[in-house]
Amino acid sequence: MSAIRETYYIYRRNLKIWLVPATFLPPLFISGLLYILFAATFSEVTNLGGFATADYNAFLVSWIIVQAVVFSGGDSGFALLTDMMSGYFDKLLLAPINRFSILFGSLLVSATRAVAQAVIIIAIAFGLGVSFKTGFLGILVLIGFAAVFGLAWSCLSIVIAIKTRSVQATQSSFVLFFPFIFLTTAFMPEELLSGWFRVAVKANPVTYVTEAMRVLVVEGWTLTPVLQGLWVTVGTVVPLMLLTTWLYRRATT
Amino acid sequence: MSNDAIIQVENLVKVYPGGTKAVDDVTFSVGEGEFFGFLGPNGAGKSTTMKILGTLLGLTSGKARVGGYDVTRDPNKVRSVMGFAMQEVGLDDLASGRDFLVLQGILYGMNRREAMARATELLDLVALSDVAQRKVGAYSGGMRRRIDLAAALVHNPRVLFLDEPTTGLDPQSRLAIWEHLETLNERGITVFLTTQMMEEADHLCQRIAIVDRGQIVAEGTPTDLKAEVGDDLVIMSVAGENDQERRLGAEKAGEMLSNLSYVDGVNVADYDLSVSVKKGGAAAPDLLRALGDVGVTVSNLSLSSPTLDDVFLKHTGRTIRHDEAGGDEYGQAMRQWMGLSRR
Repeated sequence: MSAIRETYYIYRRNLKIWLVPATFLPPLFISGLLYILFAATFSEVTNLGGFATADYNAFLVSWIIVQAVVFSGGDSGFALLTDMMSGYFDKLLLAPINRFSILFGSLLVSATRAVAQAVIIIAIAFGLGVSFKTGFLGILVLIGFAAVFGLAWSCLSIVIAIKTRSVQATQSSFVLFFPFIFLTTAFMPEELLSGWFRVAVKANPVTYVTEAMRVLVVEGWTLTPVLQGLWVTVGTVVPLMLLTTWLYRRATT
Repeated sequence: MSNDAIIQVENLVKVYPGGTKAVDDVTFSVGEGEFFGFLGPNGAGKSTTMKILGTLLGLTSGKARVGGYDVTRDPNKVRSVMGFAMQEVGLDDLASGRDFLVLQGILYGMNRREAMARATELLDLVALSDVAQRKVGAYSGGMRRRIDLAAALVHNPRVLFLDEPTTGLDPQSRLAIWEHLETLNERGITVFLTTQMMEEADHLCQRIAIVDRGQIVAEGTPTDLKAEVGDDLVIMSVAGENDQERRLGAEKAGEMLSNLSYVDGVNVADYDLSVSVKKGGAAAPDLLRALGDVGVTVSNLSLSSPTLDDVFLKHTGRTIRHDEAGGDEYGQAMRQWMGLSRR
């Protein structure tokens, strides 16, 4: 259908913009750096027990993917806002197209970005000698988690972009994402956490997604945590998608 | 006119969320093939009206139809018959000129090959073929307006909306745009432009509406509007051996000229004559001949015609200031909304 065709071409255009090295390299560099730095810092910590693996590189990889897709979710709002400020967004709205193809063309880039990031981080993990317990299929599920969960954060940044119409606010939305990323079982399993931190970690949806992905790397097909992660992902993405679509609709009428 | 009107606006009102009434009961129509202009200062409601017609803004009340389609009920049909080039040019800076036009073509329903062919054609039309592969962000101001114009033409629209198409351009680029617009209009495309520049409205438009504070204060051809304000003035200095002789000559000339049928009035100050006539250019040779017949020679002659600024002055008591950089009521509202004006 024509709406799918329009979405595809707008997606291609947005993808081209993202594929500028200055845009896609820095987040990858930071992810790689975080991975290597934290892995080096905590390499012996698995001796404490409770990690389900002796390989800290394997323990860490799921969180590295999650932080990458969460942080770069902010790019979606920023890209949309840039088009709004330049007037190009109006130009797109002037064409006799379904206006949601503009939004979905942008969200698809977010999903593509998340997939690319996950693939590259997994490749680094392989390079570091990580063995994935659930094999190829598990890796596909891991990538799926990254793509869908990344979408939630892209929606959030688009919501911020539409509500604030401020480049500064949208750019600094990652500050808001920070606690979500770090108040998790990023570096330690839950059993080793205590006090308010443990409470916050348990309340944070990012924890469940990180755990689900981690289980797939270090344990295998343990259903309960994987399903928990799945529900949390769906429960985050669906309302945020609805909110984004609703706000977008309002902003374009 | 109303039958073959391609743009019909009835009692259009637009109130922005902040309460600003940008368009206040505006009614007008534009015939197919016409070159029509909205002339007025910043904040007059020009851009707002155009954005409503272009389906970019909702209206508060009233009716607006473009190409026979209602802008509120059939926005996509309106979009398919009109091209729109904006004041704050909405370009994709990171795309090459060609890619930008190709995507536009595709979004207007062409397949890739058609869109490529159309892009080549349009790049040629606006004389940008040489820089087609260059990123739009690297284009000069004039080139940006031209690529924007090309984008607006991608689907062969019947109506072209141009919001201040030459604001901020150097005279040479402005002339280039004017020529393009005249060519397009000759090919049958209806053009509706907004401008703050009297010269632009005067030079290009067959008919204009002068707008101020959201209302149309005058409408007509530039010639009629100017004629309404008053006569042309032919100003002449009488020649002579000395001041005395010149003064006498002027007195004699004044008396004689005021009896001519096509002269509406004569004012004599020392040896200068100001003669009011309907059409200064046509009357000047006759006036000189008449003076020659009574032995009065003229050392200096100049012509002064009313401008559209005089028309604006007559209807609003103010002059159009078009020297202010950019901005319109839409832009102001947007900036306020974005929190940029709260510095």
